[in-house]
Amino acid sequence: MRPFDYTAAQSVSQALAGGGAGTAYLAGGTTLVDLMKLEVMTPRQVVDINRLPLRGVSADRDGLHVGALERMSDVAGHPLVTGGYPVLAQALLRSASPQLRNMASIGGNLLQRVRCGYFRDTSTGCNKRRPGSGCPAVDGENRGHAILGTSDSCVATHPSDLAVALVALDARVRLVGRGGTRDVRLADFYLLPGDTPEREHDLRPGELVTRVTVPALAWATRSAYLKIRDRQSYEFALASAAVALDLRGGVVRDVRVAVGGVGTRPWRLPAVEEALRGRAARPEVFEAAAALAVEAARPLTHNGFKTTLLRRTIVRALTNLVG
Amino acid sequence: MTGQILPGARSDGSAWSVGAVGGAVAPGCGSSGGVRCVGGGVGGIGASPVRPDGALKVRGEFAFSSDLWADDMLWGATLRSPHPSATIRGIDVGAALAVPGVYAVLTADDVPGDRHYGLEVADQPVLAVDEVCYRGEPVAIVAADHPETARRAAERIVVDYGVREPVTDPEVALAGGRLVRHVPIRKGDPAAVAEVVVTGEYRVGMQDQAFLGPESGLAVPAPDGGVELYVATQWLHADQRQVAAALGLPVELVRLSLAGVGGAFGAREDLSMQVHASLLALRTGRPVKMVYGREESFVGHVHRHPAILRYEHGATRDGELVYVRARILLDGGAYTSTTPAVVANAASLGVGPYRVPNVTVDAYGVHTNNPPCGAMRGFGAVQACFGYESQMDRLAEAVGLDPVEVRVRNALAEGGSMPTGQVVEGPAPVARLLELVRDRPAPPPVGDDPRQLPGGVANTTAPEQVVRGVGYAIGIKNVCFSEGFDDHATARVRLELIGGEPTALVHTAAAEVGQGLVTVQAQIARTELGVERVVVATADTSVGSAGSSSASRQTYMTGGAVRAACRAVRAALLARLAGGSGAGADDGGVADDGGAVGDGGVVGDGGTVGDGGGRVAGGGLELAGGVIRDAAGRTLGTLVDLLAAGPVERSVRWRHRPTRPLDPVTGQGDAHVQYAFAAHRATVDVDPELGLVRVVEIATAQDVGRAINPQAVLGQIQGGTAQGLGLALMEELQVVDGVIRNPSFTDYLIPTILDVPPMAVDVLELADPHAPYGLRGVGEPPTISATPAIVAAIRAATGLPLARVPVRPEHLTGTG
Repeated sequence: MRPFDYTAAQSVSQALAGGGAGTAYLAGGTTLVDLMKLEVMTPRQVVDINRLPLRGVSADRDGLHVGALERMSDVAGHPLVTGGYPVLAQALLRSASPQLRNMASIGGNLLQRVRCGYFRDTSTGCNKRRPGSGCPAVDGENRGHAILGTSDSCVATHPSDLAVALVALDARVRLVGRGGTRDVRLADFYLLPGDTPEREHDLRPGELVTRVTVPALAWATRSAYLKIRDRQSYEFALASAAVALDLRGGVVRDVRVAVGGVGTRPWRLPAVEEALRGRAARPEVFEAAAALAVEAARPLTHNGFKTTLLRRTIVRALTNLVG
Repeated sequence: MTGQILPGARSDGSAWSVGAVGGAVAPGCGSSGGVRCVGGGVGGIGASPVRPDGALKVRGEFAFSSDLWADDMLWGATLRSPHPSATIRGIDVGAALAVPGVYAVLTADDVPGDRHYGLEVADQPVLAVDEVCYRGEPVAIVAADHPETARRAAERIVVDYGVREPVTDPEVALAGGRLVRHVPIRKGDPAAVAEVVVTGEYRVGMQDQAFLGPESGLAVPAPDGGVELYVATQWLHADQRQVAAALGLPVELVRLSLAGVGGAFGAREDLSMQVHASLLALRTGRPVKMVYGREESFVGHVHRHPAILRYEHGATRDGELVYVRARILLDGGAYTSTTPAVVANAASLGVGPYRVPNVTVDAYGVHTNNPPCGAMRGFGAVQACFGYESQMDRLAEAVGLDPVEVRVRNALAEGGSMPTGQVVEGPAPVARLLELVRDRPAPPPVGDDPRQLPGGVANTTAPEQVVRGVGYAIGIKNVCFSEGFDDHATARVRLELIGGEPTALVHTAAAEVGQGLVTVQAQIARTELGVERVVVATADTSVGSAGSSSASRQTYMTGGAVRAACRAVRAALLARLAGGSGAGADDGGVADDGGAVGDGGVVGDGGTVGDGGGRVAGGGLELAGGVIRDAAGRTLGTLVDLLAAGPVERSVRWRHRPTRPLDPVTGQGDAHVQYAFAAHRATVDVDPELGLVRVVEIATAQDVGRAINPQAVLGQIQGGTAQGLGLALMEELQVVDGVIRNPSFTDYLIPTILDVPPMAVDVLELADPHAPYGLRGVGEPPTISATPAIVAAIRAATGLPLARVPVRPEHLTGTG
């Protein structure tokens, strides 16, 4: 770990004053400290934001609001979440381990870095870590990597489960900086790697994520997060699907589908949704729609299985929701 | 996972079992048939006394080797090779030395003694000499006043590498003459023909021991020019020998003490930081601590050999084996470590616990530029078992027999002959173990508790989406060191009055690595000496070698040594009782081969079976509760009175019966001391659509000869089975071009408690007439057959061939 200066901010304005290039905000620390030990992240200044008043889970006419410093465990168990948005509670509970969920913040979860082994190994090239140094994953160990949204520069999978569920629900994040406050759709917040994989999201230097808002969606009570992984717990997704279903009389009135473990960012699937809307909730309809999910898939040497697995994951998620 | 005890559940009274549900403790003293705890009464052999480290560990208060501290200590760091293969044209340490806070930067040129070490062959450099042969090989070491300073300085060392193309394919290595050892086994007719022939090629990935406590220790320079080394290891004296040779010091100037061990499983049998910390301590004159990080730990120890196994089994139409032909290729990585012995195990145990009249096995170990491989629980037997048990299932299918039936038909039994020609002496209950797991009640049918379903709490799978399968396997393992190795253990036992109470002090160099050996030594002393108070000293090199805590040998070997030393103490006490030795301090003495010398006056020791404990002298005397009584129950004396004249101390070096080398051409020879057997039945639920597996239940049966500590036996069986489950379903180091790509516990997956199913355990206690108390090594067998049983169950559920472990979702969805 490189030497750094540590300060604890007492207010948002104080945190913003200390922010900027070379500074990292510390919340739960479950990503940052790990990557600092590996020297993948080497901030000169660490600003602890845990004392900021960015807490609370509430609901109003606009929807559900979650403070960015809420811990994953607390949000997963909150009645407004479990009652109104099961997909969120499930995505949270199927992330990481209880110990990590007790520490990790909502904001930090959305900003967590990729799990690519090359990103974490400073002895290798990585365009995300060191722009222009190449992407060894393209021809290397890429079983866990993405099949959607990849570029020649980066094929790393976005790691967050929560973000997949939030993207399915059209969530927004509130970003506060010295220049002011703005709300951004989470789906737009994350950037494709393209030629600049070091830019993962639309957060400007010094900006803070202060809260997440999920627009009210009455039929999100029929929603679920289905996750396929290599062991029963504490493991990232090989494929996952966040699905919400407005089902009336056996017909899909409306639907949301986003997938994880397969994309370079949380991956909303509007074409799949369109193919389901107004159709009978039947296996062949689900299968035809799910096939659209992988039309643009670009499998790598070791993750070709994800194409089929993703289709089946979507079908299963829909099937289980119909019940 | 532990369950209800069903005493007397087996008709012969020499078995006990633990159900798959419920919760209870293992049987205590006297609960299994025929066990008689004389001696200490409380906490003797057959009991499960509370272990001294248990509460400390669950409270997080146990001091591991990484917790060692000296006030004026420096911190060591290691510069490692970034290349799997390269020449070293030059090393410039100037910039590192210039870093403030740095006290020493050392390279191979600073190694005063032998520059290479190794358990069997000294071919591994202490620090790289002119070349590096695997990624992560130590090149230089630094001591500084802060661990970060040391690491930072190490980064500033400039190494001029001439990068070479690494050899990472073991077949290429074999063809290219990089052979470490070839062990052929030839028995019977090499041209035998059979009515039914099944063939297969199987692969086993590189498994890691995945201990939690990283390599760590503290070296303290001594005023006499030597060094005191506190370290987590499996074999103090092997470390001592190698460290002394590298330092160019006589062994008596290198003194090791065991520090708290955070798991071992074979990975601490080779040296890691021992020489490095000692070199730095001697150079700087300050204590030096080294602690590996997790990523570093993955390149800091050896791994399980990956294997390619080709088998051909010939049998009659009735499923009786006619011949087995096998070729087993093991990737030993960059240095020799224990590869020769692993190859011998894979070869000599290569057909499994079966009667096979005609055997042709060729096992090879090769050098590559992959990470070095060496000891890991199961040691060559694991890889072979996945091959031969997969084959037995194919044979069962080919001849239309049930998988258990085909195994029982060919089961090895007492008096049977191994492919090496060695006759199996003592119980070999292969058929019975298989029948025990077969006859266990089936686990409950598929339910709707998500934790019990594939995908677990991720709610992926509904009961109707599940296919169930059941699979069986049995394995065989040698216990103790083989092939003529001079395998011995020393124990020093002192009996004296402390605070007026007779107290036994037991001192050995045997490494407690979490298996409960400290407790076992105390139990034996209680039973043999009839005292309750036993103090087990910290293991160190001021007493003779105990050999390694590996090969399932330590209860057999150090247990045997402690028993022999206790009996020597008893004999001395009897001499006092008879007025023979007079008063005053007893100067003890070392008895070699304690089975004979030093056991004088002990009866019931001839065959070494049975408790023996407590019965002393010829007249049926008994020592219990500190009192010596005759056969009629009359008190002849008390320990308090006898010890008033001073302590009694005896030290015994104890050996198991000798073994023989394998003939280098035919592989014939009585190479092994003892065989151990365990069987598994795995029941799995598979979601074939999503490639998810849930192991629902494992039934296992094992003959332990004699359970010295039933709770520890259960722990070994459950833990070993879980480790076998890991190899079956998830554990593999991903090595790409010689580089480990998943060196963390987020990326190298081991089973969580949600992955480990309830286990139904049957324990047989069929005494081995050659072993202390009749015991049989326990630690390794559970790991061996768990893996193939689980894979067989998945095959039964899916119909897929599954020729490689670990089995992952993509192997089941048919798209990988």
